[in-house]
Amino acid sequence: MATMVMNRVLRHESILGVLLVAALVVLAAQSEHFWTTDNLLNQGRLMAEVGLIALPMTFVIVTGGIDLSVGSIFGLCAILLGVFWQNMGMPLPVAMIGALIVGAVAGLGNGFIITRFKVPPLIATLATLALYRGLAEGISQARSVRGYPDWFFVLGQGEVLGVPTQLWLLIVCFAIAAFILGMTTFGRTTYAIGSNEVAARFSGLKVDRAKLLIYGASGLISGLAAVIFVSRVSTTRSDMGTGYELDVITAVVLGGTSIFGGRGTIIGTALGLILMQALKNGLALSGVKGDGTIVVIGAVLIAAILVGNLLSRDGDG
Amino acid sequence: MRKTLLLTAALGLTLGVGTAAMADSAWTGGDNLPTNPLACDNTPGEAAAKPYDGGAPTGAPDLKGKKITVVDVPKLIGIGYFNATSKGIADAAKELGNVEAKTDGPTQANIDQQISFIDNYITSGVNGILFAANDPVAIAPVLKKALSKGIHVVGYDANSQPDAREWFVNQAEFNGIAKALIDDMAKEIGEDGQFAIVTSTFTTPNQARWIAEMGAYQAKCHPKMKWLETVEAQEDNNLSFNQATTLINKYGDDLKGIFGMTSVATPASAEAVTQAGKCGKIAVVGLATPNAMKPYVEKDCVKSVVLWNPVDLGYAAMHVLRAVVDGDLKPGAKSVKAGKLGDLQIINGSEVLLGAPTTFTKENIGNFDF
Repeated sequence: MATMVMNRVLRHESILGVLLVAALVVLAAQSEHFWTTDNLLNQGRLMAEVGLIALPMTFVIVTGGIDLSVGSIFGLCAILLGVFWQNMGMPLPVAMIGALIVGAVAGLGNGFIITRFKVPPLIATLATLALYRGLAEGISQARSVRGYPDWFFVLGQGEVLGVPTQLWLLIVCFAIAAFILGMTTFGRTTYAIGSNEVAARFSGLKVDRAKLLIYGASGLISGLAAVIFVSRVSTTRSDMGTGYELDVITAVVLGGTSIFGGRGTIIGTALGLILMQALKNGLALSGVKGDGTIVVIGAVLIAAILVGNLLSRDGDG
Repeated sequence: MRKTLLLTAALGLTLGVGTAAMADSAWTGGDNLPTNPLACDNTPGEAAAKPYDGGAPTGAPDLKGKKITVVDVPKLIGIGYFNATSKGIADAAKELGNVEAKTDGPTQANIDQQISFIDNYITSGVNGILFAANDPVAIAPVLKKALSKGIHVVGYDANSQPDAREWFVNQAEFNGIAKALIDDMAKEIGEDGQFAIVTSTFTTPNQARWIAEMGAYQAKCHPKMKWLETVEAQEDNNLSFNQATTLINKYGDDLKGIFGMTSVATPASAEAVTQAGKCGKIAVVGLATPNAMKPYVEKDCVKSVVLWNPVDLGYAAMHVLRAVVDGDLKPGAKSVKAGKLGDLQIINGSEVLLGAPTTFTKENIGNFDF
């Protein structure tokens, strides 16, 4: 059973891998500027925020849940980073940690509502999507916070050993997430919840605790992404991260994670993320306008899922 | 299931109460910068001389008279206003004959997406970038990157930090727009009328500046008018309509006038007033393109619409960029030639002033098509 599931998952990833390679070859042929170190590293910088949030989102969706509030938590953490630092006079490092804590608490709040009151995650996080964004806009008092010190920009605009700082962070987080989901008891618990939550409970797994931790992590990482984003654009606004949840969920689902839970890998998410970013960037460089790019991404998403479904049905037969 | 509904309702309630409480605090939608209201009569304001404060590209190739590729990245695409600026840019490019210009941008006024668009065009190697910023600070790093790669950068409509671009084509001075709007409103609703504002977001640079100047000018010249509230509506047609309807319901007969601060908010507010059957009772004054406002102006629901000509704005921006590339516009210049628009004045160090705003009324609105 387990090996069958694994096979099926790997098959989706192989398809995606082939698709990605094909896309990269075509895009590189379309524009001489696409396959350059500069451009690729820069794309790494641009996809770091969505990429980071996509990691815990993979866990969330594997449990059969969804977290629509990540973009709003992102906005809330961004604005609080500015408020902590400028209005409350905290040193910037403390304000950064404060923003991360707020993110974690907001995520735990989601987890609490979902586990304690048995609210479906779609509804719970739809409510907090509005709630956290409303808080962000209320707290910001419509003012943007600017004038951060230069050292802070290392995180979002700087480089370490020639590679954008946040790309290192994304790679480290990616490795940690892949290890936890693929190699640990916690990872297996996550799959078990998504496959059959009732069975998981009767097997003595701590379902609620696991969910709480996963939604908490989702909030924490959204906070981290917010700090990086503020550093990248050097200002704070309450409308930051609007619509991020859709980009994140697209990357995860494109990566082969089943929206019904129980299936999905971090490597798949990474492939989905890279494919999406490569399409956005490559199409723009080869002269396709923004509206055309969105159409292509939508079509690729549908195609990837259809092909995946067709093949897995054959496998079942 | 019932539990779920209850909880959702409770959450909704806290949210509602939360935002209601927030609305009580003084949110004007203005910014914190100092204001400079014009005189109440028609004495023109004085432009203070200021040294050039724009940036400069490093190692820009000499392309004087040669063919250049230019990309225009407005706040968003697909709305009448930026279609008009885009048309102006295309017109000027055609007239110049040595420019290949195209417009591309996000479909929503989103800072993150706008940055990605500009970033991609820097990589693809354009010679010039025209932009209208969604946020003056957030866009600065990517524009500085363009300058550092030898790309010429000129803004129009919505400015960035001055050192992140070379020149900015200013459609109209903020205090001039503020005076025109407030004076028009005072004429319609009287000196003791109460009004509200529908804007895009509180941090959008132009709108925040206009609102700050409007507040200052109103306090100075029409002190008895009362400012009820400013509400945010992105640049979204539906949301603007809903926000205007909420204002009408909330304040009832107290509300005498609504300002629309964007080309989307003004027609949406006029529609809300029409649908509420308050034509003639609630005045709508605002910035909008004539085409969007024609039905309301012809029905006498809206008396006057204020705007510069966005086609001219795009046209001027393209000419300024070409002049910069050709070396015809250098720091310290007093004016710049912009094709059929003639000589445009340089103000505030590194800004090119398009001219005075136009007020469209029932008499002249038929003459404009944008």
